[in-house]
Amino acid sequence: MTELLYAYAVTGREPGTAVASYGQGVTGAPVFPVAEGELAALVSRVPAAGFDEVALQAQLEDLEWLERVARAHHEVVAAASSAGCALPLRLATVYRDEDGVRRMLRTGHDRLRAELDRLDGRIEWGVKVYTTPAAQAAPVGPAGPGAAPAGPAAARGGAGGTVSGRDYLRQRLRQRQTQDGVLQQSSDLADRLDAELSRLAEDRRVHRPQDPRLSRRDGVNVLNASYLVPAADAHAFAERARTLVAGETRVRVEMTGPWAPYSFAGTGATEAP
Amino acid sequence: MTTAPAGRRGRVEIDHDTVERDLMKLVLTVVELLRELMERQALRRVDENTLTEDQEERIGLTLMLLQDRMNTLCDRYGLSPEDLNLDLGPLGPLLPRD
Repeated sequence: MTELLYAYAVTGREPGTAVASYGQGVTGAPVFPVAEGELAALVSRVPAAGFDEVALQAQLEDLEWLERVARAHHEVVAAASSAGCALPLRLATVYRDEDGVRRMLRTGHDRLRAELDRLDGRIEWGVKVYTTPAAQAAPVGPAGPGAAPAGPAAARGGAGGTVSGRDYLRQRLRQRQTQDGVLQQSSDLADRLDAELSRLAEDRRVHRPQDPRLSRRDGVNVLNASYLVPAADAHAFAERARTLVAGETRVRVEMTGPWAPYSFAGTGATEAP
Repeated sequence: MTTAPAGRRGRVEIDHDTVERDLMKLVLTVVELLRELMERQALRRVDENTLTEDQEERIGLTLMLLQDRMNTLCDRYGLSPEDLNLDLGPLGPLLPRD
């Protein structure tokens, strides 16, 4: 009982083309299918010490570990998707043994089959909208760029000379109001974009705004959504999105994809091992 | 408190080599939280016009001096505003991110 099975994705068993390589897996161990009926799960062996419940709790908070695992996970899913529809499983889905995987495939068969049919030939676009630093008011908080160590007289606003306490308070009030205004405007823009794109997509998921430490970007993330689009329309969807935000300076829009439809794969397949 | 591996940013890590800076970070985090709360309250009162001119002047000056002092201390210990923003996990960041 020193090894567990890390599961990446569920596929139908009739792969159109054989996949040459599923990549390295999360620990470098080979990735292989475990079949049950017409479904198969792609798994690889991982040490229990690093992937049991207790270890995972700790590891999932370690951003570097998470990044490594997410990349490997994605590589396997992408390879599987290239050969036919693959339902990505959640990151760090772990089973005790092959029987556990088979049980999951058996008990979840109807739902998994339906999901595979629903997502077959579909891709996912990710769209993120950020406020632009340019549109944002002067930063509020300690040690902002305007914070010269020359004493309170150098408080931002540049009125020159001594700033009274009242002036300072009013300045801060204006800064906050501007900032709230910018945020509101950006959110409205993002909502309109989202409404437009939702009409073009078969389905959509809105995610939590991104943690700035992960995105390593400036600006507030006001929309973080995924859209499910037939693979044939993938290009047209992206074009439409680009047209909608062309010339827009108040927000910055990031599109990623086309991905395997991660966000739309049901989560029920991730029952405990 | 123990040292966490690199990559676990946003946690308070106290290491005996950097104990002064780490302790300062913790203290400044608490001060910044209070400053933020006081400022919010003050701005709300200004917005509602429920402070006298004299009160506004005194509160404004206090907040201004406090911010100035914070900047100086942050500079001295090489801390940025993000360093003072503890990650409370599911609760989100301690201070608003703006």
